[in-house]
Amino acid sequence: MAGMLIDVTRCTGCETCVAACVRENHLDPVLADRDKATVPDGLSENRFTTVIRLDESHFAKKACMHCEEPGCVRACLVGGLTIGANGNVEYDPDKCIGCRYCMLACPFHIPRYEWSATVPFMKKCEMCEDRLAQGQIPACAEACPHDAILYGEREFLIEQANLRFSENPGRYIDHIWGEHEFHGTNVLYISDVDLISLGWPALNTVSHSIPHHTETMLKATPFIGGSVLAGVSGLSWIIRRRMELMNGNSHDDKGGMEQ
Amino acid sequence: MIRDSRRDPTRRLKDILWVLTFVGIIAMIFRFAYGLGATTDLSDGVPWGLWKILNMVAGAALATSGFTIGFLGHVLHIKQFQKLVKPAIVVAFLGYGSSLFALLFDIGLPWRFWHPFVYWNIHSFLFEVFWCVSFYFLVTFLELSPTLLERLGLGKLHGYMHRAASVFVIIGITLSSLHHTSLGSLFLVSPQRLHALWYSPLISVMFIVSAMGGGMMLLLVIKVLYSWWYEPDKLFHVTSSGAVVECKACANPDDNGHGKTLEAPDLPMIRTLATVAAGILGFYLLMKVADLILRPEAMATLVAGNWESWLFGVEMVIGVIVPIIMVCIPSVRRSTVALASAGAMAAFGLMLNRVNTGIFGYFRDAGVIYVPTAIEWAITLGVLSMAGLAFFFLVENFSVFNENWRKKGSESLNITSAFDHLTYVWHYRMLTGLERVTLIAVIVLPLSWIFLNPSYHNPVFNEVQPPLAVDVERDTLQLDGNRAGVSTMFAHAAHQERLGGSESCGVCHHLSLPGDQATPCAECHRYMESPADIFDHDAHKAYVADSRGLGGIHPENMSCAECHQEHEAETALSASNCFECHQEDMSPTDAVAIQGHLGMQYAAGYHTAMHGVCIQCHDSDEQKLAYDNPELGECATCHYAVQPADLADDGVLLTQTQE
Repeated sequence: MAGMLIDVTRCTGCETCVAACVRENHLDPVLADRDKATVPDGLSENRFTTVIRLDESHFAKKACMHCEEPGCVRACLVGGLTIGANGNVEYDPDKCIGCRYCMLACPFHIPRYEWSATVPFMKKCEMCEDRLAQGQIPACAEACPHDAILYGEREFLIEQANLRFSENPGRYIDHIWGEHEFHGTNVLYISDVDLISLGWPALNTVSHSIPHHTETMLKATPFIGGSVLAGVSGLSWIIRRRMELMNGNSHDDKGGMEQ
Repeated sequence: MIRDSRRDPTRRLKDILWVLTFVGIIAMIFRFAYGLGATTDLSDGVPWGLWKILNMVAGAALATSGFTIGFLGHVLHIKQFQKLVKPAIVVAFLGYGSSLFALLFDIGLPWRFWHPFVYWNIHSFLFEVFWCVSFYFLVTFLELSPTLLERLGLGKLHGYMHRAASVFVIIGITLSSLHHTSLGSLFLVSPQRLHALWYSPLISVMFIVSAMGGGMMLLLVIKVLYSWWYEPDKLFHVTSSGAVVECKACANPDDNGHGKTLEAPDLPMIRTLATVAAGILGFYLLMKVADLILRPEAMATLVAGNWESWLFGVEMVIGVIVPIIMVCIPSVRRSTVALASAGAMAAFGLMLNRVNTGIFGYFRDAGVIYVPTAIEWAITLGVLSMAGLAFFFLVENFSVFNENWRKKGSESLNITSAFDHLTYVWHYRMLTGLERVTLIAVIVLPLSWIFLNPSYHNPVFNEVQPPLAVDVERDTLQLDGNRAGVSTMFAHAAHQERLGGSESCGVCHHLSLPGDQATPCAECHRYMESPADIFDHDAHKAYVADSRGLGGIHPENMSCAECHQEHEAETALSASNCFECHQEDMSPTDAVAIQGHLGMQYAAGYHTAMHGVCIQCHDSDEQKLAYDNPELGECATCHYAVQPADLADDGVLLTQTQE
């Protein structure tokens, strides 16, 4: 499981990562009107990543967090979203029917839709799947001039984050966003300010993964179906039998149909 | 066969339904021609809108009577409900049919509607909803088929289907209980996004319980409406003394002498149905109360008094509490019309609950408001109108409500004056059959084509050209910030070396793109509303609102038209020239001439920008290095002008002349 460690204290908001992403994914450098009007964080069909200004002097890159238990993967009814070999959440446009349920299921508002297209698909960061396959690192991580984006194995990233905490006492809030939130994400953040505005839960609150919220009902579903089927069939049979006995013959009561 | 359409109380309603149907058809054409973005107000913030929530989620909820009445009539064999089974199945068939039809417009790639049958994700609630709803629609069709086959004279087949009826009912109940809970479970995936008032771990159970109650209530309304429309002979009214008066005279609706409240027959059945429904809604109310008590965060938002609390209040009061109270009042229980009113309120409340859950509940988190476009409304209402017309067709041509239903014969015409000939044409010739519909189509289709045609388009941006060629490969750069043909020589390599080599770009360049160290302004100053942009859009809004004394609770939101042209998309293209306000900040002699961008002629000069970067260091270093370079702070240290004539063809400097 590989991911990225984003160091908010190093980010200067230069948006080089955005430019690299636009180039790598052949996105339209010019944003459509609609993209700009409707989304505060700037993500759109033409921006898989953006830089959010957290306050006067803090910036943070926002893109798919590549959850370890992603809500979108749970939501997609055709299985068009899957977890790839590197832990990245992949999208298969050939299966997609355009229901946009993944958009509802993402706590970070990551999946975006090609609203301007007549034949639209979902769009999001796939952690440069093709580059990973060629042994390269994601375009944004490569482009960052300030080393604010570090790509590597998740365990390595957590080690690195802790190393930075110990080497720079007081520089960071002693918390790795994404280590435990939503049951862990592959994109991790370290910062000296709170990251609620990126979609992370407040510090020190317990947050379950999206699939966790659906687990109870999902497990109950076959039971509901089975018990209703058995219960109603049984009830129907008993009542029918009793009616037959009461009438003393095999009168076939079909209800109102034969009145 | 000509029916006396003047006496057909459904005539006006059918006209409206036909109008809406034709408007809807035009909207459907536009939807497929232009795509979702151009025809809807859906956005990345609120990705589910009218079609999915109102048509599908609310539509399925309102059509629950198909399985609840099926259970009461065919499984429990409660006699008085058995005559309601067929109408309930018709409602379910049309409700689910129209929902699925509307979904075809909602999903982005409708020709792939069959994908979930082939590509499975059994962990998705939407997958379960899709399968159960599709099969339930099939089941309602099979349940309906005896009624259709009977009329078509296929007696033998009719018999088979009839015998299988109770099997279908049981399968239908199973599928319904599955997909109604799953429709609620759909929203379990957005605990962070859905408003706390509607997001509940119990939402799945709440959905099926409220749908059962509300669906029965809707059936009750339909039953009373049916009696009004098709059973004028059976209507009666209750006088003030409490006496029941048969009301055959009411067959002529023009004669209002008999009183206003026309009571429908079958009061005992309607009353029982309303009581059962109210009982279910009472259970739902208990669940809601318990849910609010168990979740303090929801209770907190309820008493907060924001618009969500009001919506929730309206939904609960109109949709649940008032109908329950009404059904308990003895005088209401004696009147079918009063019971139907309670039913209508409950059905409305159920619909509002689904819309609140699926649409309004997402606004706060998304930070955007979704206002359905005309095309969205047209398709929503068009699909519902088609279902309504299909309902009238089924009711009038098949034995749905009444076993002995046959169309009424034509009645004799009574033309008394010349003027009445016109009336005759309107009422008897144009208005019953195809001609009437054709007339409506001829009027409505072109009009709706004109009014619904989306005007949306993406304007093409004129991109700002970078400052004149700056050759980063050279040791010395010619900076011609004002494009006046006069360059200043800048020893880039020397500066770079002095400031720390290749690591030092960030000292001067506040951003540094690989391979293009001197970044054109436009690379950053392009998306002015972006939070990361240097241009502070919010501050501009607030300043403009303040300086021009705009009113309102949020005056800054009234300020759009101060800079952007009215009635146009609020883009950089429609914005006023920055120069209009910033004349003093951007002296024309010190500005970059920009052509074609924003219609603006001047932006803060590169001159000013460079001065901001250079002078700071030069000033401070002049003090420090006074012994070394006392002229560092003087203009002429850098500004020895270079004329174009001094340059060779390839732009290399030939001579330097000190000014």
